[in-house]
Amino acid sequence: MIEINNLHKYFGDNEVLKGISNKVNEKEVVCIIGPSGSGKSTFLRCMNLLEDVTDGTITIDGQEITAKKTNVPKIRSQVGMVFQHFNLFPHKTALQNIILGPLKVKKMPKEEAEKKGMELLEKVGLVDKAHMYPGSLSGGQKQRVAICRALAMDPKVMLFDEPTSALDPELVGEVLNVMKDLAKDGMTMVVVTHEMNFAREVGDRVIFIDGGYIVEEGDPNELFQNPQSERLQTFLGEILV
Amino acid sequence: MRTIAILEYFDFIRFDIIWNYRELYFRGLLVTIALTAVGYTCGIILGLLFGLGKMSERKWIYYPAKWYVDFFRGTPLLVQILLIHTALIPTLFGHSLGFFVSGSIALMLNSAAYIAEIFRAGIQSLDKGQMEAARSLGMPHGVAMRQIILPQAFRRMVPPLGNELIALLKDSSLVTVIAATDILYAAKVTAGAYFRFWEPYLFAALLYLILTWVCTKVIAYVENRYSTSYIPAKRRRFFMRKHGV
Repeated sequence: MIEINNLHKYFGDNEVLKGISNKVNEKEVVCIIGPSGSGKSTFLRCMNLLEDVTDGTITIDGQEITAKKTNVPKIRSQVGMVFQHFNLFPHKTALQNIILGPLKVKKMPKEEAEKKGMELLEKVGLVDKAHMYPGSLSGGQKQRVAICRALAMDPKVMLFDEPTSALDPELVGEVLNVMKDLAKDGMTMVVVTHEMNFAREVGDRVIFIDGGYIVEEGDPNELFQNPQSERLQTFLGEILV
Repeated sequence: MRTIAILEYFDFIRFDIIWNYRELYFRGLLVTIALTAVGYTCGIILGLLFGLGKMSERKWIYYPAKWYVDFFRGTPLLVQILLIHTALIPTLFGHSLGFFVSGSIALMLNSAAYIAEIFRAGIQSLDKGQMEAARSLGMPHGVAMRQIILPQAFRRMVPPLGNELIALLKDSSLVTVIAATDILYAAKVTAGAYFRFWEPYLFAALLYLILTWVCTKVIAYVENRYSTSYIPAKRRRFFMRKHGV
């Protein structure tokens, strides 16, 4: 589904990604963990071309998205993205947030888009909030709406950039449950997260990134119980206190 | 009868001198409104262009826009009015085009500089995540600008734009130096004719106060109308019925 080949990313003189290669299969849930500043968010954002790649290639569903002549908006419309700070549009209601992409990018008729939006909201249990503005929703509700907004475009892949990091602890569960359901439905997902339980329960594979490299990867349970590298041992020791 | 009795009590105030010049005041009122309206409307359009210019990454767009804003914010409006009326327009056209053309051009150019800054600040104060979210849905830059960035930026711009309108309305009184027949001109003529100063200038102040008060009300209405949580009740009821919420 996704193939990443020798990916390099510089911010000015600072090399953030130092040659990352990996492959994500269809319907696979890959969790990316790592200390802050390790490049894991940058890596994720490259897959949606929110960061331009300095060197290397990324191929999604047979299409090389890093090629020079790609239609960037079209690629982004096929890759769903969920942000740490939700980034809902505050001047649009929950439903308007969700249908905006289908309406403006896919030129879907309004009736159809609204019907689909309501179905998505029903899935995440927020039908009654459809006409509320983001300002009057809780963090967990906002993030669930944001997930719907990304799903409304029927993406081939969903990218999650620390989707629960900005939430109060008691609201994390409702968002993770939505993500679990999504995984069960067979969505291909790449999740940057600090939720080790989620990674263990839902993740098919965990990638540990540090210093711009993939240091270790493998089955979540094995990786957490039996970390090979010293850096992963230290990292897990710090977060699993 | 009662009214006349009250007026007699205030007979040290000469209401009649205002009354005698009522047509001049009325004309002045219209001129002040027209100058402000033309200057402000054109100023908004020009201000948007310069605001965009100041956000441009191309240097040949950025610097002229910056210089423009620096000049018109950094020099007195009075000087600008005189420059335009007595120097710029006669040089370009060979003769004067009257106070209204010079006055509205000066007000337009001046307010455009302030509005450019309001516009730039309105856009740049938005969270960068808004653009990213819009782009991540596959919206091209123009669509993201129109659908996501500008509507939010306009909301933030309403209060400062309102301030600018009121400031411009009051500053428009400076055009009396080029013999524009605005409110202040009417007051000056009355004062000169009767050699009385309280009544004409207080009355002029009152007229300006009424105009700014009306502006304040309109701005408050617009602010309320475009606040984030506003949904017309009709639309909300219609939606709820349709989806059985």
